[in-house]
Amino acid sequence: MLHNVKDNYIISVKDHVSQFEEKSFRKLASNDFKSWPSPREETWRLSRLGVLSRKEITPITPNFKKQISSVSKFKSSKIIRFVDGALREDLSSKLPPGVSLNILGEEDSLRCFHKFKDSNLKDHPSTNVSFSCTPSIVKLTIEKDVKIRDLFEIIYEGGDDDTSVHPALYIELKDNSSITIIERFNHLSSLIMPLQLVELKKNASINSLKIFNDNQQSYNLSANCTFLSEKSNYNSFSLIKGGLFTRSETHAYLKGENCNLNLNGVYLSSKNQHHDLTTAIYHDVPNCTSKQIVRGVLGGKSTGVFQGKVRVAPDAQKTDGQQMSRAILLSENAIANAKPELEIYADDVICAHGATVGEIDDDQLFYLKSRGISEKKAKQILITAFLKDIINESVEESIQNYVFEEAELALSEIISKEI
Amino acid sequence: MSLLEIKNAKLKLDDKDILKGLSLSVNSGEVHAIMGPNGSGKSTLSYMLAGRDGYELESGEVFLEGQSLSDMEADERARSGLFLAFQYPVELPGVGGMSFLREAVNSRRKFLGEEELDHLAFVKEARKVASKMFVKDEMLKRAVNVGFSGGEKKRFEILQMAMLKPKVSILDETDSGLDVDALKIVSDGVNAQRNDENAIVVITHYQRLLDYIVPDFVHILSDGNIIKSGGPELALEVEKNGYAGLINAA
Repeated sequence: MLHNVKDNYIISVKDHVSQFEEKSFRKLASNDFKSWPSPREETWRLSRLGVLSRKEITPITPNFKKQISSVSKFKSSKIIRFVDGALREDLSSKLPPGVSLNILGEEDSLRCFHKFKDSNLKDHPSTNVSFSCTPSIVKLTIEKDVKIRDLFEIIYEGGDDDTSVHPALYIELKDNSSITIIERFNHLSSLIMPLQLVELKKNASINSLKIFNDNQQSYNLSANCTFLSEKSNYNSFSLIKGGLFTRSETHAYLKGENCNLNLNGVYLSSKNQHHDLTTAIYHDVPNCTSKQIVRGVLGGKSTGVFQGKVRVAPDAQKTDGQQMSRAILLSENAIANAKPELEIYADDVICAHGATVGEIDDDQLFYLKSRGISEKKAKQILITAFLKDIINESVEESIQNYVFEEAELALSEIISKEI
Repeated sequence: MSLLEIKNAKLKLDDKDILKGLSLSVNSGEVHAIMGPNGSGKSTLSYMLAGRDGYELESGEVFLEGQSLSDMEADERARSGLFLAFQYPVELPGVGGMSFLREAVNSRRKFLGEEELDHLAFVKEARKVASKMFVKDEMLKRAVNVGFSGGEKKRFEILQMAMLKPKVSILDETDSGLDVDALKIVSDGVNAQRNDENAIVVITHYQRLLDYIVPDFVHILSDGNIIKSGGPELALEVEKNGYAGLINAA
């Protein structure tokens, strides 16, 4: 059969699916993958995937013997490793009591799949492709009343040129449990499509830090679907610095009263990088708060996108939803797009949003220079402060320095070229 | 030789003449007060001296210790010994007070050929000076000027002045937003730094500040020029009769 070059990846996904024995959710998912989203679709207008249809990519077959050389920067963290998108228990730490890691069977995988398909991530390319191609869906469970003090690190690595990787992780925090998780994306693949389902039960609390630092040629289309129950707390911070094109998309459903959500992030973009933080927050019940602070620093010909939607349902009275995005452009050729969206159907709410894109503040720069500090150093100080400020506000104290060091590496690269 | 010499300074902002041939000579050991009504060019003068972008002279020249400032950026001027205490000190969220001070002081020390201070030595020195200015340690740990009261901001300006040991300090409306107690603390801080080697130019609306920082010379600035100069008694005349009388007489 002759087919258009554009269909190559779709065909390779379907071929890949055929090698699995249990097929139900994979088949359903692969049937729904018909094309890459068109730029006519509102949420993909600013982040276009057209170029992917011209690439020759096939889903990776994980190599379970592949060795890795990455090390943790923490002395006593618990590490969970995914290589080529597959869980590698042999390269992961022994877990403390109250925490378990399982590979889901057919039935649970299907349930997980339907959670995504019932959400507004149903048409996200990663939903359809990764449910088709993931080696397995891995579930991390924190049992009731268990409060984990150890830092958890989930490291996603491996991958090869011209392949796509499909890690899928389901995190469940049962009642009154809590944990801090750092996730690092360090793939070498052309296309990375991580899926994540997070369920926070009553009074559960998670601090989540994601660092996107894939290979400079890769596309990362991460999709996260989170459900918050009563009094639960999801505190998330994303640092996007790697990849050619990285889009972190999070949809959070606030389903129980008095829950609290922070979806903050920073993107640091240089050369021809494209970084995108897309969020959708659904306030379905009363008395919840959500907050998003996003900051970007851009150099070269890079592009940054923040699109955040907050939807407040008619019943969700006393909602407090805040959104603020700020981007600093260090080069004339860099572009920052901000698209905050509020859809409010309740009348007794506090919702605010704001977005600024600009250069370094003149008054601040002059103040520093008037103290004898050179222009270059002054700019460095101000940009560093711009990031430090949000990191200190968003990230748990014990890992603030770590995040800051991670950011500083990318930042100094941008600054050295532009200032 | 004068420490600061302004010669026939002319400056336009948005095509409007703001400074119209202003001249002033300040010698070491002297304190000069420049008084003037709103819109007379006081803030423009301070920005021009400090080297803010957009405030370049159209003609005329300024010399610091005999060296022309015209080709020097704001940071070079500061390292050479010029200091501007801001009327409205700028907030720097995320920039810690101590590291800001250290960066500034070490830039100046480097220029003077002195050894840069390491962290410990610097903290010790900063605390010593800060305590004299009633600046608490806790304030130095906070982000520069963020959440500071009016008085704290001005005290922090004078603390910077004390640490940078400038040759010429320009105090732009340092009394604005201060109550009497704060005014006294700030003035004491300034007076403690008066010596035969440096000079201070106080820019102010009101005579009040000059009760605390007593000038050797008072100049009245009006419509971009100094229209009258005299001793401290000139400030009292302004207090009594307002600017209008002096301006009309000139």
